[in-house]
Amino acid sequence: MSAVRAPVYLDHAATTPVDVRVAARMAEVLSSETEYGNPASSSHGYGDVAGTLVESARTQVAAAVGAGAAEVIFTSGATEANNLAMFGISQYYRERGRHIVTARTEHKAVLDPCRELERRGWEVSYLVPDKEGLLDPSQVAAALRPDTVLVSLMHVNNEIGVVQNIGAIGAICARHGGAWLHVDAAQSVGKCPVHFASLGADLMSLSAHKVYGPKGVGALVISQQGDSGGRGRVQLTAMQFGGGQERGLRAGTLATHQVVGMGLAFEIAAKISSVETARVAHLQQRLWQGLEALGGVLRNGSATRSVPHLLNVSFEGVEGESLIASIRPHLAVSTGSACTSALAEPSYVLRALGRSERLSESSLRFGLGRTTSEADIDVAIATLTREVGRLRKVAGATPVA
Amino acid sequence: MNYNELTRRYFESAANAGELTGPGVFRGAAGNRAQGTWVQFDLQIKAGMVSAAKFLAFACPHTIAVAAWLAEQAVRGHLVPQLPESVHMLRDRFAVPVEKMGRLLIIEDAWLAAVIPAIDYRQSTHIVR
Repeated sequence: MSAVRAPVYLDHAATTPVDVRVAARMAEVLSSETEYGNPASSSHGYGDVAGTLVESARTQVAAAVGAGAAEVIFTSGATEANNLAMFGISQYYRERGRHIVTARTEHKAVLDPCRELERRGWEVSYLVPDKEGLLDPSQVAAALRPDTVLVSLMHVNNEIGVVQNIGAIGAICARHGGAWLHVDAAQSVGKCPVHFASLGADLMSLSAHKVYGPKGVGALVISQQGDSGGRGRVQLTAMQFGGGQERGLRAGTLATHQVVGMGLAFEIAAKISSVETARVAHLQQRLWQGLEALGGVLRNGSATRSVPHLLNVSFEGVEGESLIASIRPHLAVSTGSACTSALAEPSYVLRALGRSERLSESSLRFGLGRTTSEADIDVAIATLTREVGRLRKVAGATPVA
Repeated sequence: MNYNELTRRYFESAANAGELTGPGVFRGAAGNRAQGTWVQFDLQIKAGMVSAAKFLAFACPHTIAVAAWLAEQAVRGHLVPQLPESVHMLRDRFAVPVEKMGRLLIIEDAWLAAVIPAIDYRQSTHIVR
């Protein structure tokens, strides 16, 4: 019987395999005879041991992103962190203002809470990035109003990998004096420098499973620093109740093994060397050059202000669903459409960049990671060269070179 | 999206993709690339029968598979102003989701756009004789 080769995994922006060291440590915690206590139980040693593990992980996460341990609130993931930040701020400061600023290219975990807040009476301004996916900080300044209480923008875009100038935006928010800055940094850690204090953010969402950690755990970093504008510390209204864990902001018993896994994953990510970053950049360049040679291939997002781990391209002259069906046996990548039904919806991020519906549908997101090799990249290039060529022939299409 | 075995086979092989030229070739197309689905059929007619058939399609796997299958089935068939199988039978054969029924109608339009001129031509030449 011949072995069927598994598709090459190039979807590290969706999720990453758990680092074996992380998995081993989590298994240790799960099977330990001393580490299974409730970390909130202070009346016996079992709870103390688990509590110490949680606090150690909190320190690891904080250290990896330039924050203080007391600023880290564990959640079930970045989506919950985004929700806690957005609803928590909106609720707490509702008497001061009900205006929020975000961008059209944000993740659904920010856009959907915005839609819900609009339904509840808040106003949301959606900034439109330029054709490369970048926001000019002056757009944020122009959008701020006296009643703005929250600006929520992502650091690294999950579809096109562009890095927003959060430092400049943070300074603008601080000068405004009333708008808190929330940053979704789920795609940033391990891919580019992340330093919470330097970014000028007031809140930052993190995810473990994007960083070779487990799914089901993330964190919201909440600044403990008062700012010079006299706003004091950022405050949130809790969204769930039932035990007062995590400074009363996120009730519920923490999953010690998940938290420990996230801590170790972030510690490992913080040690990623410039050599590894350069290796991934080389692979991305190799992939882009191989695809560009096909002709009629367009790169989505800035090539210069982006992380090397993401490459998003559109293929002219091929229909999106056929492209995906053709490569599926060989490559695991994300598409430019959300297949929530038989008819796919083109990516709203690519549409916001000005790409046509057809080009948005015929786009692919390649997420490179620690396990990606040159051989993987060569398989991707060979597969797409063959299948794009075949589909263009079937379509009688001549791409614009 | 899942595809049945027949759809996958005809989508992957697309054996009759291409164009025909020369005498006795009738071409019909329908749809619009900008709208996401475009199909073209070339039918070569000899002695009132289809002697060769090719297709081109900028379309989803279901549409490509159905067009490829129709081009294969058409050869050595008589010219009739309809698809070799009804749209509903094609939908069942290829397990086409109901949301994509419009794409089968585009295939039918392209097919008829090639077949009807061929029938008209045959009838006009028959009358002349």
